[in-house]
Amino acid sequence: MTIVLAYLDPGSGSMILQIIAGGLAAVAVTAKLYWRRLMKFLRIRKDEPETANPADTARGTDSG
Amino acid sequence: MSAPDTHTPSPAGLEPGSFRDPESRVFYAGDEVYRALSPDGLADFEALAESGLLEDERLVHTEQAGDGAPALHDVLVHKPAAVLRHERIPFVSYPYEWTFSMLKDAALVQLDLLLAALDRDLVLKDSTPYNVQFKGARPVFVDIGSFERLREGEPWVGYRQFCMLYLYPLLLLSLKGVPFQPWLRGSIDGITPSQMRGLLSFRDRFRRGIFTNVFLHARLERRYADRPDQVKEEVRRVFKKELFVANVRKMRRLVERLDWNPPEGVWTAYGERNTYTDDDARRKDDFVREVARSRDWGLVWDIGCNNGRYSRIAAEGARTVVALDADQGPVELLYRDLRAEGDERILPLTMNLADPSPGLGWRGLERRSPADRGKPDLVLALALVHHMSISANVPVRELVDWFASLGSALVVEFPTREDPMVRKLLAPKREGLHPDYELDFFERSLGEAFEVERSERLESGTRVLYFARPKRG
Repeated sequence: MTIVLAYLDPGSGSMILQIIAGGLAAVAVTAKLYWRRLMKFLRIRKDEPETANPADTARGTDSG
Repeated sequence: MSAPDTHTPSPAGLEPGSFRDPESRVFYAGDEVYRALSPDGLADFEALAESGLLEDERLVHTEQAGDGAPALHDVLVHKPAAVLRHERIPFVSYPYEWTFSMLKDAALVQLDLLLAALDRDLVLKDSTPYNVQFKGARPVFVDIGSFERLREGEPWVGYRQFCMLYLYPLLLLSLKGVPFQPWLRGSIDGITPSQMRGLLSFRDRFRRGIFTNVFLHARLERRYADRPDQVKEEVRRVFKKELFVANVRKMRRLVERLDWNPPEGVWTAYGERNTYTDDDARRKDDFVREVARSRDWGLVWDIGCNNGRYSRIAAEGARTVVALDADQGPVELLYRDLRAEGDERILPLTMNLADPSPGLGWRGLERRSPADRGKPDLVLALALVHHMSISANVPVRELVDWFASLGSALVVEFPTREDPMVRKLLAPKREGLHPDYELDFFERSLGEAFEVERSERLESGTRVLYFARPKRG
């Protein structure tokens, strides 16, 4: 298969940016998770129900 | 030279603004709007139909044209595999005629449909606001050909275009207070990342989303400009759908937070809409209402609509009212109200009649002037003539000629030289200027091109209303 077949030029820099931006989001979410865990461990913050979804930004949509 | 034939968009009824995507092309036959699809385009359309997303009310109503479809063989490079029929949008408008909230709402529709598409393993192949139209105050996505099947490892191809035509224009007004409309009218592709970076200050880079989408974007664009092949392959290897979805969601949150409000004075003036108590205003309402209800007007233009008072009255007897004003402020507030009411008949747009939208793009035909998009059946020009004639220096006779060129019926108001507003406009001008701004000269000019059916001098004596029909031949 050939590479991306779009009539619109996505722009090389713009594509790289999406990876970096996505990467930053992943780092931010991971950091937030660890921060919450730390707060919980230090008993500064009370337990939150596990259904809360802090990893929202990094997750795909698999619901129908 | 003979009369310009700009009303025939292009040979064989092709929509002159629909040539960029080789998989689909819009054309007209009779009163209908059609779209020819290539074999690939048809496969994409079938995937869209199967996903159920085609039924979404944010999409323009579309069906396969079947056997009754007009045969237009040279629309695409190869013989079209199928033809679609689209619902017709009453009046086409462009992003440089929209207010802040209109562009923002169009952006949100674009992003929401992209998310919905990704959910079904589809994608939107571009992100241009020209793919969105307004039915009254409701945004409708019209480019069905933009949906295609998602390919493995494909990044958000329309991301750069989204920035250039949606995000940057919104930022320009939201952060800098600079209206985006002249910029979008000035370039059909919008504002580039490096141009946008040049418009922002050092402090701006610490605002949400700015560093990544503007500063970093501009920098990476420069850095990788000469290595497209290498980059595409690398991106394809690492890019995942999850990343795509995350980026679109992040963009949505960013756009959702952007805000702009008209200056204080606009709110005050707008709020006075329903507090007119004087006799003049009541009689003006009645005059307009009587004309509006006298027959079924298809398309009405309310030029100089201000807070939309008369657009609303006109809508009582029209299918579509285009409410135009040079000032974005009241149009923005009118849009917000109409949106809250769920209106689908009044289309508010910002446009200066002394400098209206021209033909733009390839051959100057991709985007058209207002009259080329559909001539009105009735024009309302209330509290307009003095602004055009005195502030914009358009001679009275030229203005009347222009009204006549539309071929529509006309409700026009003439404030005499004694009117307080006219005095205010004349005050800074040299004595003796605008000798043509006289009631009898206006009436003579009007009478040459129109049959005046009714006129009424309002109580205050400084304003006269006319209802006129164009003379035949």
